[in-house]
Amino acid sequence: MKTTVYIFLLCLFMALPGNAQKKEMPPKGGEPKGFSLPEKEVINYDNGLKLVLVPYGSIPKATINITLKTGNINEKEDEVWMADLLADLMEEGTTKGYDVKQRLAGMGGNLNVGVGTHTTTLNTNVLADFAPEALGVLSDVLVSPQLPQSELDRLKNNMKRDITVSLSRPGSQASKEFFGEIFPDHPYGRIYPTTEMVDSYTLDELKSFYNANFGAQRTTVYVVGKFDADKVKEVVKNQLAGWRKGPKADYPVANPESDGAVTIIDRPGAPQSTIYYGLPVASPSNDDYIALDVTNSLLGGSFGSRITSNIREDKGYTYSPHSSLSSYYKTGLWYENADVTTEFTGASIDEIKKEIVRLQNEAPSKEELQGIQNYESGIYVLQNSTPGGIISQLNFLDVHDLPESFLVNKVKNINAVTPEQVQAMTKKYIKPEKMTLVIVGDKEKIKDQVQETIKKPVEKKQ
Amino acid sequence: MRKTFMLFLMLGIISAGFSQNESQKQKTSEFNVPVEYYKLDNGLKVILSPDKTSPTVVVATYYNIGFRIEPKDRTGFAHLFEHMMFQGSQNLGKMEFIKLVQQNGGILNGSTRFDFTNYFEVVPSNKLETMLWAESDRMKGLDITQDNLTNQQGVVKNEVRVNVLNQPYGGFPWLDMPQYANSNWYNAHNFYGDLKDLDAANLEDVEKFFSTYYAPNNAALAVVGDFDPAQAKEWIKKYFGKIPSANVPPKPDISEPKQEKEKVFVKNDSLANKPAIAIAYNMPERNTPEYYAMGLLDQILVEGDNALLRKKLVDELGYTSRISGGINYLGDMFNYNGPMQLMFDFTYDNETSKDQIITAVDEVMNKLSGGITQEMLDNAIVKMRSQLYDKLGSSFGLGRADLLCSFALFDDNPSRINNLEDHFRKITPEIMNKTISEYLRKTNRTILTVNPLLADNEKTN
Repeated sequence: MKTTVYIFLLCLFMALPGNAQKKEMPPKGGEPKGFSLPEKEVINYDNGLKLVLVPYGSIPKATINITLKTGNINEKEDEVWMADLLADLMEEGTTKGYDVKQRLAGMGGNLNVGVGTHTTTLNTNVLADFAPEALGVLSDVLVSPQLPQSELDRLKNNMKRDITVSLSRPGSQASKEFFGEIFPDHPYGRIYPTTEMVDSYTLDELKSFYNANFGAQRTTVYVVGKFDADKVKEVVKNQLAGWRKGPKADYPVANPESDGAVTIIDRPGAPQSTIYYGLPVASPSNDDYIALDVTNSLLGGSFGSRITSNIREDKGYTYSPHSSLSSYYKTGLWYENADVTTEFTGASIDEIKKEIVRLQNEAPSKEELQGIQNYESGIYVLQNSTPGGIISQLNFLDVHDLPESFLVNKVKNINAVTPEQVQAMTKKYIKPEKMTLVIVGDKEKIKDQVQETIKKPVEKKQ
Repeated sequence: MRKTFMLFLMLGIISAGFSQNESQKQKTSEFNVPVEYYKLDNGLKVILSPDKTSPTVVVATYYNIGFRIEPKDRTGFAHLFEHMMFQGSQNLGKMEFIKLVQQNGGILNGSTRFDFTNYFEVVPSNKLETMLWAESDRMKGLDITQDNLTNQQGVVKNEVRVNVLNQPYGGFPWLDMPQYANSNWYNAHNFYGDLKDLDAANLEDVEKFFSTYYAPNNAALAVVGDFDPAQAKEWIKKYFGKIPSANVPPKPDISEPKQEKEKVFVKNDSLANKPAIAIAYNMPERNTPEYYAMGLLDQILVEGDNALLRKKLVDELGYTSRISGGINYLGDMFNYNGPMQLMFDFTYDNETSKDQIITAVDEVMNKLSGGITQEMLDNAIVKMRSQLYDKLGSSFGLGRADLLCSFALFDDNPSRINNLEDHFRKITPEIMNKTISEYLRKTNRTILTVNPLLADNEKTN
């Protein structure tokens, strides 16, 4: 019924006289101003610690990140989120006998100890004047954390509550399953611990994790924004240059797999289906990476991309479809993620597949590709134009063992990609028959739609 | 004392590069935003704020129409209309606006808030003229088909599903609390919209909404970033100068009666497995001393690691892992213009009772009464300044554009951006204590709890 009305109205408007007036063209704009990466000063210390100073911008604030090359990737199978629990405990302060939170609050900052897949970061963001003092506080927390037993049960309970709440969300359920299937034997696939696992962690185990993974060799200190460089260097010299060397960075390489499996996790009555659909591709250290990145932008990674134009702007199946090229150490993933209307679940997957196959069969026009290359070049400038962005770009090089030329030549390399390369990348990497599909949705309503689309047996969970 | 002096000196050097245009210097402000403000003949408010940090420029267009005052039989329409602004204008068809921005190396978005709807682009600075042309094109008029409208009704309904209907705690508390805490329809209706109302919207509604509210005399345009102001002025005149102004209807009465009794509500949530609570206190009128005092109370109670509620509920009692909160969950304390609440919320365990939570909150509030010291005030101001500077530097200049446009639309005075610190510094412990007793009283608050219908189903694996 709805479709009939829709078509009728569509025809009605097509029958209206067209706008004969000639359209005005947008002004092209002037010549681009050059962009170069912000100047930085790098100091390497004998114990392996690195200090990176980037004076930047006009706002009187300083962003301080102490980043260590350790994170969830260094957890064993029965240690999921142990790194996070250690970080929570580190936020409780230092043995140096002062209240860290109160001290940093007096500088306009907070203490954040955050754990990612590849890194652990001690971060604060303070009024410019306080940068050296704040770095001193962060250094105390890093080198001499208090790790109080008295707070451990409370922090474990917080963690368990957060896990329970998080796993009631369809997006969390889907990502847990998706990454779990693709990385069955690697920390990359262990997205959430069980609450029993969290209960089992002891203070001794946390301390062992700290001892095994924390040290100067894995540490880079970033200070970006407005600050007194000499005083910052003095703090590093006094508080960090003599810290123990610790272990070298150690990232186990994953062997991701994907062979077209389909999984539905039942969420009875869900008005939408949450979709993760993708497979392993190249890593940033692979020569194909930049071309693959451009391909992703064109296919599904930007607002104007093909998949988004199709399932959002043409069909209205979804609000926030997005494809990602995720970087892991020596490997990568490409996947489309979208929450689509339940009744159009099969149709959405079908359209995503169609767009991939179309790009496999036909190179994009030069104009379409040039538009995406311009977009990517603009994004590059934006990525390097905030204190957080600058740190994140430099850290990316560090995590993936990339030379500085990767960043310096990125725009040049983006613009060297040809339409034929985009087609070749799609053919080589993004193979629908190999893609892992995870759907969280109303099983009864979607299972037939999905079978019709994929033509493979559907595996059901719960 | 010494610290303040040093900071001031340092800033003198930093701002020297662009302070020539500034005739007035703020006495105590340590960071001065360049502000050039004028109006076109058609009433468009224009704010220029150069900053050479990066070779990019922000174009932000703010219309003085938020979701509060959308048509009564069309809940969610202001937001649906925001989507229509990307669907086609005289010279840019569907997807062409989006592609124009992207192909020029930029990003774009729009959002609908309590009291404005905004549209912005961040582009390489040599593309400023292109963006001014494009924004003016859609201010001149839209060219929307039923097809486009139907498509965006589908997209917006999916937005509501993904953010509210298919999520535990969906809409809690940002969408829920205004509906419980307020009594005037304008402040208390569902801003995202009933799906029925969204379906009922037609092209006539689109046309009428546009011609009523989307006029230059009901808008502000900010340009922030690396550009030449004289050149920008020429382009703005060329592209926006001939757009006719309109008779904008007077703003309806959106005031709220004074609250005299505590309000308590429970929301059943069939997707949630842990209880959650939100507590909201009605704000004093904007720009009064009490308003600034509430801003500082937000810092003392809610913001940052040393906030009193955090110390009590997180560190001491372990009821929750974090407390979210602030003034205006869809923005901040500066970018709204009407009734508002200071609110905080958090999830907690099924084993903890609501009474235990309220008792702990009241202990913090009682301790606060009459006990504000100068030291607490000083720390609140440090945190406030730090947050404010973050906003001035955030998102390539968008945060700055947001304040400039809000103050232009609401106060006809974007230079307020440079006076905010002064206002906070004028607040005394006496004003703080008066504000606590008048506004942080139980009878001025609304308590909303989420009853988790999945509480017995804590299965996580």
